[in-house]
Amino acid sequence: MSEFKSGFFVGGEACEGRVLVVDDEPDIRKVVKMTLQKAGYEVLEAENGEKAIEIINYGENRLLLDVVICDIRMPKVNGVEAIAYFRSNYPRVPLIVLTGFPDTDMATSFLRQGVVDYLVKPIEGEKLRAAVARAIEQRELAKL
Amino acid sequence: MERSDHTKVAILGAGRGGRALLDLLHHIPSIEIVGIADRNVDAPGLQRARELRIPVTTDMRDLISNHGVSVIMDVTGDPEMEAYLYAHKPPTADILSGSASRLLWELVLHESKLEAELLQSEKLAGIGSFAAGIAHDINNPLQLILGLAENLAEERDLTTVHEQARDIIEAVKRTSAICRDLTRYSRRASPHEDMLVSVNEKLEEGLKIARYASSLHDIELIKHYQTGAAVKGNPDELLHVFVNLITNAVHAMERAGGTLTLETALLGGQVGVRISDTGCGIPPDKIPEIFEPFFTTKPPGKGTGLGLYNVKTIIDNMHGTIAVDSQVDKGTTFTLTFPNAERSEQGSPS
Repeated sequence: MSEFKSGFFVGGEACEGRVLVVDDEPDIRKVVKMTLQKAGYEVLEAENGEKAIEIINYGENRLLLDVVICDIRMPKVNGVEAIAYFRSNYPRVPLIVLTGFPDTDMATSFLRQGVVDYLVKPIEGEKLRAAVARAIEQRELAKL
Repeated sequence: MERSDHTKVAILGAGRGGRALLDLLHHIPSIEIVGIADRNVDAPGLQRARELRIPVTTDMRDLISNHGVSVIMDVTGDPEMEAYLYAHKPPTADILSGSASRLLWELVLHESKLEAELLQSEKLAGIGSFAAGIAHDINNPLQLILGLAENLAEERDLTTVHEQARDIIEAVKRTSAICRDLTRYSRRASPHEDMLVSVNEKLEEGLKIARYASSLHDIELIKHYQTGAAVKGNPDELLHVFVNLITNAVHAMERAGGTLTLETALLGGQVGVRISDTGCGIPPDKIPEIFEPFFTTKPPGKGTGLGLYNVKTIIDNMHGTIAVDSQVDKGTTFTLTFPNAERSEQGSPS
């Protein structure tokens, strides 16, 4: 089965995919991680864009990172800058924006840049998991 | 013949009218208030005059005859006063009394009402720029609450249940504090609510509000607070001053980050406050204009141009001063001084 999905094995357990959560709030990283782990995802964390870029460039993440969930308002490299970096350097990794501030102009601009989803906090676990699954599915389809 | 550029004014009557006149006239550089008189030693205007170091007397005749007065303003409300004044005034002095002085008083009160309106409208216009910050600070704890609550619906481990329930309670408290701060800030400053205000506390509160307007993420914050720095004034208005100056400082550093320094000091009989940034600075030719109404460097629709004008008005009303020192690309420092509230309370002669 696993060759048809992006799934791989971590510590002997089946893994649905590897997700990087970029948010300056530890609380947000904590709940997003909790929510996604329940669905079998492996979750990495970064507290700002700079750290996120570091993580995506680290070892196997370059190849195995499936989705990035990114906040906008953050210190150091903010979400807008980080997303621009991901889009130009890792165009195959789907990006999901998860922000506290719904802004139509910003959403439109992100979606034009190729961001797959623009989600507004607070979001239910079910919807977040569906968005991540959809992002991975779309990427798999794009590979065909 | 002695000639002065100043209009020398004597005020008779130190009730509400006299006090309002004092507050207005002492701001005007070309007017010198030579004294204020009232038969009642405890009249509010006399108290105010002592704070402003304006001569105070209970002897009307002494005041109008001795100081080379050019205008005598009678706000005693005493119908016999006018005749008395004409009989005793120096020949060169003009008299403003009866309905003319009443008209003036009404204009003064009207002006102070307009001032309050202007302050309020600028404040409310500014709150629009808080939207992103407020959304961020409310939706983040809501995300935590939602995530934890979803987990609690299934969680079997009792220790985790307790822990997460406590996290939810904390998150709710944090969220409600935001609403409390903002409603306190946005309410109309109640008039004549002068009281002893801790400058350090107001700076901290101002910093909290300013965070909504602009992110302080890439800004280093340095604080040097002198304990016990207190001024007399309206706490809501002083908060508005600090929110304004801190927000400006942060905006000046928006592109490249920098250092925001907040300092308070006790200097002799005065309280000093300094708010410095290392931002873009103000061009020298613009400095004389910054306290003018409707001066703004922001694009149309973004700033009201009333920020620093209102700041200056509030500080003037508190008998303080504001000075600016700025260098393009180096930064800006606003230095404020206020009479030390503790001292002037103790030091005023009775």
